Amino acid sequence: MYKTTRCLFMAILTFCCMIQTAAAQDETIVFTPQWTAQAQFAGYYVAAAKGFYREAGVKVRIEHPSTTQSSMLRLRQNICQATTLQLCQAMEIVDDGIPLVNILQTSMNNAMVIVSARDKNPLTQKGAKVGIWSVGFGQLAICMSIKDRLDYQWVRFAQNINLFLSGALDATLAMSYNEYYQLVQAGIKMTDKNVYRFCDHGYNVQEDGVYMTRDYYLRHREQAKRFSQASRKGWEWAAQHPEETLDIVMQYVDRENIATNRVMQRLMLQEVLRLQVDRESRKREFRLRPDMVMQASRLMVENQMLSREVTYKELVCE
Amino acid sequence: MKVILQYIRRKLSVRVSLWVVMFAAIIFNAALAFLFYQARDAVRQEAVNRAMQILDKTSQRVEGILNRVEVASNMTMWLVQRHPDKADSMFVYSRSMLQNNPDFYNCSIAFEPDYFKEKGRYFSAYTKHVGDSLRTIQGGSDNYQYFFMDWYLMPTLLDKPCWTEPYFDLDVATNTSEMVTSYGQAIKDKQGKLIGVINTSLSISWLSQTISSVKPYPNSYSIMIGRGGTYFVHPDTTKITRQTIFTQTMDNLNDNQVSSAHGRGCRGEAENDTALIALGHAMQHGEEGMKQMDIDGKHCYIFYKPLGQTGCSMAIVCPESDIFSGFDRLRHTVMAIVTVGLLLMLYLFIRIITHELKPLHRLAKEAETIASGKLDAELPDFQRIDEIGQLSQSFGNMQHSLVKYIEELKDTTAQKASIESDLRIASGIQMGMLPTKFPTKDERDHVQLYASLTPAKEVGGDLFDFYFREEKLFFCIGDVSGKGVPASLFMAVTRSIFRTVSAHESMPDRIVTIMNKTIADMNKNHMFVTLFVGVLDLPTGLLRYCNAGHDAPLLVGAGVGELACDANIPVGFMPKWKYSLQETQIFTGTTIFLFTDGLTEAMDADKAQFTMERVNNVAINALSHGQQEPRQLIGQMTDAVHQFVGDAEQSDDLTMMAIQYIRQDSDVLMCKNIVLFNDTKQVPKLTAFVDEVCEAVGLTPDVTAQVKVAIEEAVVNVMNYAYPPDTHGNVTIEAVLTEDEVNNKWLKFTVIDSGKPFDPTVQAAVDTTLPAKERHIGGLGIHIMRQMMDSINYERMDNLNILTLRKKIRVKNEKPPSNSPQGERNK
Repeated sequence: MYKTTRCLFMAILTFCCMIQTAAAQDETIVFTPQWTAQAQFAGYYVAAAKGFYREAGVKVRIEHPSTTQSSMLRLRQNICQATTLQLCQAMEIVDDGIPLVNILQTSMNNAMVIVSARDKNPLTQKGAKVGIWSVGFGQLAICMSIKDRLDYQWVRFAQNINLFLSGALDATLAMSYNEYYQLVQAGIKMTDKNVYRFCDHGYNVQEDGVYMTRDYYLRHREQAKRFSQASRKGWEWAAQHPEETLDIVMQYVDRENIATNRVMQRLMLQEVLRLQVDRESRKREFRLRPDMVMQASRLMVENQMLSREVTYKELVCE
Repeated sequence: MKVILQYIRRKLSVRVSLWVVMFAAIIFNAALAFLFYQARDAVRQEAVNRAMQILDKTSQRVEGILNRVEVASNMTMWLVQRHPDKADSMFVYSRSMLQNNPDFYNCSIAFEPDYFKEKGRYFSAYTKHVGDSLRTIQGGSDNYQYFFMDWYLMPTLLDKPCWTEPYFDLDVATNTSEMVTSYGQAIKDKQGKLIGVINTSLSISWLSQTISSVKPYPNSYSIMIGRGGTYFVHPDTTKITRQTIFTQTMDNLNDNQVSSAHGRGCRGEAENDTALIALGHAMQHGEEGMKQMDIDGKHCYIFYKPLGQTGCSMAIVCPESDIFSGFDRLRHTVMAIVTVGLLLMLYLFIRIITHELKPLHRLAKEAETIASGKLDAELPDFQRIDEIGQLSQSFGNMQHSLVKYIEELKDTTAQKASIESDLRIASGIQMGMLPTKFPTKDERDHVQLYASLTPAKEVGGDLFDFYFREEKLFFCIGDVSGKGVPASLFMAVTRSIFRTVSAHESMPDRIVTIMNKTIADMNKNHMFVTLFVGVLDLPTGLLRYCNAGHDAPLLVGAGVGELACDANIPVGFMPKWKYSLQETQIFTGTTIFLFTDGLTEAMDADKAQFTMERVNNVAINALSHGQQEPRQLIGQMTDAVHQFVGDAEQSDDLTMMAIQYIRQDSDVLMCKNIVLFNDTKQVPKLTAFVDEVCEAVGLTPDVTAQVKVAIEEAVVNVMNYAYPPDTHGNVTIEAVLTEDEVNNKWLKFTVIDSGKPFDPTVQAAVDTTLPAKERHIGGLGIHIMRQMMDSINYERMDNLNILTLRKKIRVKNEKPPSNSPQGERNK
């Protein structure tokens, strides 16, 4: 199922490149975050709301994906010019032959966790049914399952945590800023035992970053740079003004009619901002770390998720 | 507050009314509290029953519809499993499902990817109501990969039919959403391999409306949550699908949750949210029951029950104030009625009691009028027979008694004033009886004397007395039993008898014996007197005394010690009692301190007595400071007693008398004597002897003649009468010339005989102013001796009569006392 998804992305991206010339004429950068409106993208909302993009002289329009138009599809179709991707996702796409450029790396830490039902240690549940996002996150989890010989049965799901709550799964993957809190909100008790954090077990690979197709980037270097800088400014402002940021986030949430609440978004914002701080330098570095790129690339190559190593240079702008 | 309390204290009517109302209030409140407690319990039980009925009804209704879905799904399953290879048939089955069940929302018969090769990767026969018609299409695409959906995955993973969590189903074509729940059932081929899922959705908007409309109380509301605690029904629509029952508890635990994301785990939950969390878990686990907690500041009862097999749970939230609103209204009304009733009761009681007590006010005023002195004030007649009437009558009686009593009191007061006046006079008289003039040193060079008497009442029973006769000091001190007028009269009598008896008796035992007989004979009231009688011979210092039951005197001289006294009974008891005589030698400088028991028994405020020990101490102290002189000693004793007694009232008469003997020995310039027989023929020898002495002394012829007459009178008296007739006896005459410390020269003749005792000095003096014929026989001899000499003294010692006659030798210009020898010896 995983391979199938990748092939699908590949086909669409190829098609996308063919029609990109026409679409790139628009000066406005349409930015599509990879998920529905939530605090995960607070920095971009802030940059737009506080006029940082305007000040930087770049036109940016934020459009969220719909059920029929995922962020990747929109990028491929040049409906949007920038999107957020997790590092592993981006490497897969590059491996499949669609060059991408990371114009801004926001995440400095890995947020993925495995939450086990019935207060069991995920590492002891060999062959367990574990939920994984159908849209393609979770590469590291698959690597870990293979490496640690856990032989998890991956159950791809499209929706939220209900499958896990109904008892149909033994464990589920979750993002520490999103599904983790949804589970807590659903009354699941989190302990040191039933939560496995990848970042603490040698899988601390960066996640969210803003990507453009290399082709688009080469043609709009200056715009891309301004967009990147204004977005970074938005994140820095958000870190300093969490409550005002939350107000802006909730405007997007309400506009998009997302089934969430301020409490969850506050927790998400806190966690996303925390993940942006590098463990070693303890700073918001907003850069792709070559060592993490190399680590992710090697892990994925080892597990046949990449046909070759994708290098740091291939991802960053020159 | 103070004013109110004072008012209550002043008003009997208010006080009594308050007590009554207070007791009534306690009884009412206790009864009502019990009633309210029971009623509240009943109301609560009623609320529980009511809520549970509603929940049961809703649950049954839901289950009825769910059962229909499950039955329809099972029937379709039977058809699908009979023809699993005919893809197009699936559209028919799907459509038939909705045709037969118009209230179902949609139906999908979805298959595993690539199950029907000819249909491509996705095949799902999907039928849905569109208006009044049905739309059947093939569902599934790259954008809608149904096999990743919950409704598909859940029955396959659980391997049993199940209901999904409610969700909003979005119709892209119309951009409308509907809240649905789906029943999924896995399709398996004959080998038991999964080939697809039959999914039937049911709109639960009707259920939401039904639950929302459940409103057993005005402010109650209903909620419905899913497996994950998500609100699907809630009066606050912003919470629906966006919040779970645990969300608000997370807001409080924000910090803990963030820290748990760091790997430290979820810490404890806020105490306030514990109840809500417990409710959430109970509802998630499909439990049924009731809980109480505070929601939005209101105490609420929450009744909950699961809704069939949907995994959803419904709850009715009823504010306590609503459940008990009717009860509270009733309670407040009853309490208000009781309160008003009690206040009214208080008011009426005060009015009634005040009215009933009105006569008492009038009576009080009249009593004040009487108290102000108007004893003839007329008391009101209340014409009542109750307690107040009786009180009024008693008051009248009291008024009459009062008038009478006051009249009597006036008389008594007048009498008392008269008695007091008499007493003051009697006190004056009594004090007048006692010697107030004490001899000075010039008057008496052998003795000093001082006394004091302080009666406890106006008149007292203590007495003292003294007087000089010849060369003797007669004194007495006594204490009459009892106090006041009787004692004072008894004292006066005693003192008079002492004077009378001692005028003729020189021996104290005789004096006391006679006094005792006299007093005992006339003592009808059985009173008595302790008495100490003493006779101090001034020339020799010999003290003769008789103590009749009195405190023994102190001798303050070389030391301090009590004078030994025989145990005689007080005077007045037994007329035939023979009192004993005692005698002792008093040395120069010694003070005899006499006192009554008012001294030793003087009491202070604590009723402690002064005691003999203190008397001794004062005496010792006075002696050590050389203050044994009578006035000083008594002064010191008085001060000591006053200091001891303090402000305490004097309990007994206090009498003290001190006598200091101070005679100094004179220098003997000449001494001659002669012994004669009791024969008057010896008189010329006597005359010659006297002449010789007078000449030797150098007396003038006149004085010599006077001395000669006196001596001859004395000696002849002895010669004639001292010895029985025809009995031989001697008479010794001794002449001594002395000079005292102030250079006075004295010529002393001592006439000594061993005849029968005879004291010429106690013979009554002859009245020389009367004609000779009118005079009594006898007494002239002693009169002559007194006239011729300066002093005469009689002593009976060692069975000898010793008569001393003294003549002061005067210088030439000093005028001798004018007298002439006359008379004869008295018999």
